[in-house]
Amino acid sequence: MDRSAIERTIEAVWHMESARIIAKLARMLRDVARAEEIAQDAWVAALAQWSAMGLPENPGAWLMATAKNRAIDQLRQWQMAERKSAIMTHDPDLLGAPDTAAEEADSISDDLLRLMFVACHPVLATEARVTLTLRLLGGLTPAEIARAFLTTESAIQQRIVRAKRTLSEARVPFEVPGPSERAERLEAVLEVIYLIFNEGYAATSGEDWMRPALCEEALRLGRVLAEIDPAAPETHGLVAMMEIQASRTRARLSSTGEPILLMQQNRSHWDQLLIHRGLAALTRAESFGGPFGPYTLQAAIAACHARARTAEETDWPRIVALYDALNEVQPSPIIALNRAVAVSMAYGPAAALDIVDALRNESRLRDYHLLPSVRGDLLERLARFQEAGEEFCRAASLTSNSRERSLLLARMAACERQSTRID
Amino acid sequence: MTYMLLVVEKVGDRELRSEAEGRALYGRMLDFSAQLKERGLLTLAQSLKTDAAGVRVSRRGEKSTVRDGPFAEAKEMVGGIFLLTCATREQAVEIARQCPAAEWATIEVRELGPCFE
Repeated sequence: MDRSAIERTIEAVWHMESARIIAKLARMLRDVARAEEIAQDAWVAALAQWSAMGLPENPGAWLMATAKNRAIDQLRQWQMAERKSAIMTHDPDLLGAPDTAAEEADSISDDLLRLMFVACHPVLATEARVTLTLRLLGGLTPAEIARAFLTTESAIQQRIVRAKRTLSEARVPFEVPGPSERAERLEAVLEVIYLIFNEGYAATSGEDWMRPALCEEALRLGRVLAEIDPAAPETHGLVAMMEIQASRTRARLSSTGEPILLMQQNRSHWDQLLIHRGLAALTRAESFGGPFGPYTLQAAIAACHARARTAEETDWPRIVALYDALNEVQPSPIIALNRAVAVSMAYGPAAALDIVDALRNESRLRDYHLLPSVRGDLLERLARFQEAGEEFCRAASLTSNSRERSLLLARMAACERQSTRID
Repeated sequence: MTYMLLVVEKVGDRELRSEAEGRALYGRMLDFSAQLKERGLLTLAQSLKTDAAGVRVSRRGEKSTVRDGPFAEAKEMVGGIFLLTCATREQAVEIARQCPAAEWATIEVRELGPCFE
């Protein structure tokens, strides 16, 4: 293998193994920051040795062993400095008897979970949680994270340093949260994963490949979380939602980079494997019984679209019912607006217009271009062309996206033509 | 990026092993699959029964051909498959390299994608 191929392979190994290594070290050292540094040292050692001598048969095991040895050295240094001696005497890892393979597997899962909770700790700003999660659990290098977020490597390094310092100063323990905080803390983890996914999903083609790769990373983190902590239905719900959204990646953009709305997408470009996985995850989420959480409900809505082989076959009444449930669990005017669209498809535009008219009083939707856009669409379908044209005009003035504006102005023009024809 | 790993075995190799040896190899593959699952990389891992019990089917116009295995002309057979989600091609190749079956078979790494260009 030439040198850069070796480096890419070692990076690939790091990507697969680093989270488990950092998790194990964090448990040994009770110090996430030091754990990450020692893991990094092990990687540097791997790079040097493997570039010269090729990869070992089991690179993950090599890295873990190297990292553990360095951690033991660190603990001995601390003991000599008379710190953490309590941990030295009580930590079973250092009493000589190795875990059985099963114990090792279980304990690493626990450690991974602890690491996830720590990386998403509420004492950190959201941006710090996202960066730390991608670094510690995603195994991304600072350079990769920088490319994904369109910033510099040194900015990311600083973010990581500050985040680790915040965790140290706040003395955040390397533990999973207790039962009373568990649900809320898990929500924070799910939120970080979904933020990573959305960052990738928002990227258009032609941008750096690292951005769409964020979707895959978020999916992988979600799947790992579902494996190590399967008892939380919303985790499976989030994974389901991400899988199904990701299934539309190839259909979302035209060959010229124009966004294509869901109802107009070529469904043969939807990734059936991802849909299959998403539906399986949704089944798992629903198997816990209701009431369902927001991720599970959003996944169920996405699943309705995914199951329809053509746009005409969409089960709109079911989507309306799911929006009803979603609006109860996570009420928001935007969800109410989406629900109105579904109502118009299931029960006709007149029924939906009443709902949308009421939403015009919502201050949170005042500058939201989709509100007049939806109202315009409903009015157009009711042949109230002049009013529809006015709404599309208003919507066009509210959007900052030039493509959307052109689309809305075109609809306005079409309505004007229709209204002059009738008159 | 989604990849399929095909475990390509030499026809007849399975018959050369004792049941105990076969079970041991299968156990190693199960452990390997579990490790991939723990890393969030695995969609599917399955071994396939021997092609001696398989069937080959083709159609040319009106004429259908259905042949039972074993297939005299086949020197190799697909003994198992993995379906993986990987960040990069290098990762898929590295996973193939680490797969226990790479010791007694050849692992072919194929990206999923359309069959036309």
